[in-house]
Amino acid sequence: MSALPVSLPTPRDENWKYANLRGLSRARFDPSPPPSAETLARVTAALPAPIDGFERFVIIDGFIASDASGVKQSGNPPTTSSSTIGTIEADRYFLELNRRLRSETLRLEVARHQKRAVEVIVVSLGTSHPAIEVALSEGAELSLIERHVPISTDTVITNLAVSAIVGPHARLELSRIAQTGAKTQHVETIELHLAEGSTTKVIQLTTGGAVSRTTAFVDHAGRESTLEWHAAALGEGTQSHDAYVRVAHSAPGAKTLQQFRGIASGRSRVSFNGHMRVDATSPNAQSDQSLKCLLAGPEAEADVRPQLEIYTDAVKASHGATVGKLDPDMLFYLLSRGIPEESASSLLKWAFVSDVIRRLSTPALRADIEHSLERVLPGAVAARSGT
Amino acid sequence: MLSIKDLRTTVGNRKVLDGLSLQVPAGEVHAIMGPNGSGKSTLAYTLAGRPGYEVTGGSVSYRGQDLLALEPEARAQRGLFLGFQYPVEIPGVNNVYLLKAALNAARKQRGLPEVDAFEFLTLVREKMKIMQMDESFLSRGVNEGFSGGEKKRNEILQMLVLEPSLALLDETDSGLDIDALKVVANGVNTLRSPERAIVLVTHYQRLLDYIKPDRVHVLARGKIIRSGGPELAQELEARGYDWLLTDAA
Repeated sequence: MSALPVSLPTPRDENWKYANLRGLSRARFDPSPPPSAETLARVTAALPAPIDGFERFVIIDGFIASDASGVKQSGNPPTTSSSTIGTIEADRYFLELNRRLRSETLRLEVARHQKRAVEVIVVSLGTSHPAIEVALSEGAELSLIERHVPISTDTVITNLAVSAIVGPHARLELSRIAQTGAKTQHVETIELHLAEGSTTKVIQLTTGGAVSRTTAFVDHAGRESTLEWHAAALGEGTQSHDAYVRVAHSAPGAKTLQQFRGIASGRSRVSFNGHMRVDATSPNAQSDQSLKCLLAGPEAEADVRPQLEIYTDAVKASHGATVGKLDPDMLFYLLSRGIPEESASSLLKWAFVSDVIRRLSTPALRADIEHSLERVLPGAVAARSGT
Repeated sequence: MLSIKDLRTTVGNRKVLDGLSLQVPAGEVHAIMGPNGSGKSTLAYTLAGRPGYEVTGGSVSYRGQDLLALEPEARAQRGLFLGFQYPVEIPGVNNVYLLKAALNAARKQRGLPEVDAFEFLTLVREKMKIMQMDESFLSRGVNEGFSGGEKKRNEILQMLVLEPSLALLDETDSGLDIDALKVVANGVNTLRSPERAIVLVTHYQRLLDYIKPDRVHVLARGKIIRSGGPELAQELEARGYDWLLTDAA
């Protein structure tokens, strides 16, 4: 199996201006072999504690390390034919790569009016193309936690694909926590199909990793479907965290709330491009965007880009985008109370992203994340709990 | 406690304090009054070390130390407290954490261990009673969604918990109705002690009906132009500032 015979997206591609793909430019993308028993044992021992009430699946280098039946699908789904490969749009390049090179697909289904809570841990040790496919039938509910944990300190390439079909009046809560290793190159493509009356909430946190890029396509295909997309990214050192989220409102009454909070420290680059499209077939749609970035390093860079593309008059749309530094009034207030400057800065950064973190509805996960953020933002846990 | 000599401060390129001198001994409450734009808030911010308030001359001695040589947080840790005229809202950082972190920062400076959690809560509850504040305030973000009066009560609550040696209260009375003013004044009065000094910056005499000052100073054109006893505040209330400004000119 070989990689696609076309080049990677480049900054000349409209939605890849801020992505850093230099580390992938010479990558071969050949997937790693299945993990050995020894690797499996080593990884299992290093995983975070299970969360009560959640089934757990572990994907290691694209292979599902689980004996549970009915969740694995080996091999590859249909891909674009080789004769048209040269015309693949840049935004779907990595998705296509995943479809061709994925080893196994984790399939999660929830039957009509049933509820499930699932945690998927994704571990990359080499080069992998993990795939998760979710299908919710009518009225089903799924709380899905997807965690990427930094097991490896080596150079790692992850090209993840997640797709979800949220059936009529179904509810999906997708908590995506990407805390990858320092040398990880993480690329992912997310596809969400929202049916009539469905509700989807995505909470995404990105920290660690050399490079991360999220490309998301959301389609409000059914009437009165609702999407909340809350994302936070914390960049340090020379990290690059970039996201492009395209939401298409195709049916009447579709609603989207999109919120992004990014902090660029050191020489890092953090960017978020939120593209809202409201078709003529989607009257009475509602779209709210709030994209904010904090520049917390003299050489850091932040880019937020709200895009509205509206083809109907019957729409309520708002958007706000800001890039700024720590509020000097807030900082001085904390200093005037004797809080040391480093702690005061951490507290304000925490305050900045906390509006996203607090959306995590599973207390054990939220506590775990807050604890892990202590390394980046000392004082974060205490600020939340007052302990 | 506090000795200010010939203090000169610029904000931006504007000269605001222009040779201000003031002595505040321990155990006393001093009121600084003056017309709008006279430099009252600049004095408070300069003493607290706010960036952008550049000292171009003079000296400030606080408990025998060169105050101006200290960073803002070091001043606070050594017992200087600024009650803000406009307390800022900090969503995401809760009140009780700020209180505890501030108290522990001061304790650390004094070589004391961190405050015990039970003792701390007992202390805070006791002070909240004085300020007639509901405990739900503690779990909210710092000043988040507070009314103007609630913010001012919160400032005084912080002061009561931190028990500073020198409290600078910048127009703590502004925006308060009469009931809230009494509560705030009562809070300030509970802090009066022979070891402590309080400087009240205010426009109006009404605060001084509830907090009796030992000395009253009039600040105008960047310096103290008149000092006197409590009767000076009453005279200002009756006559305004113009007569003093004319005399000073």
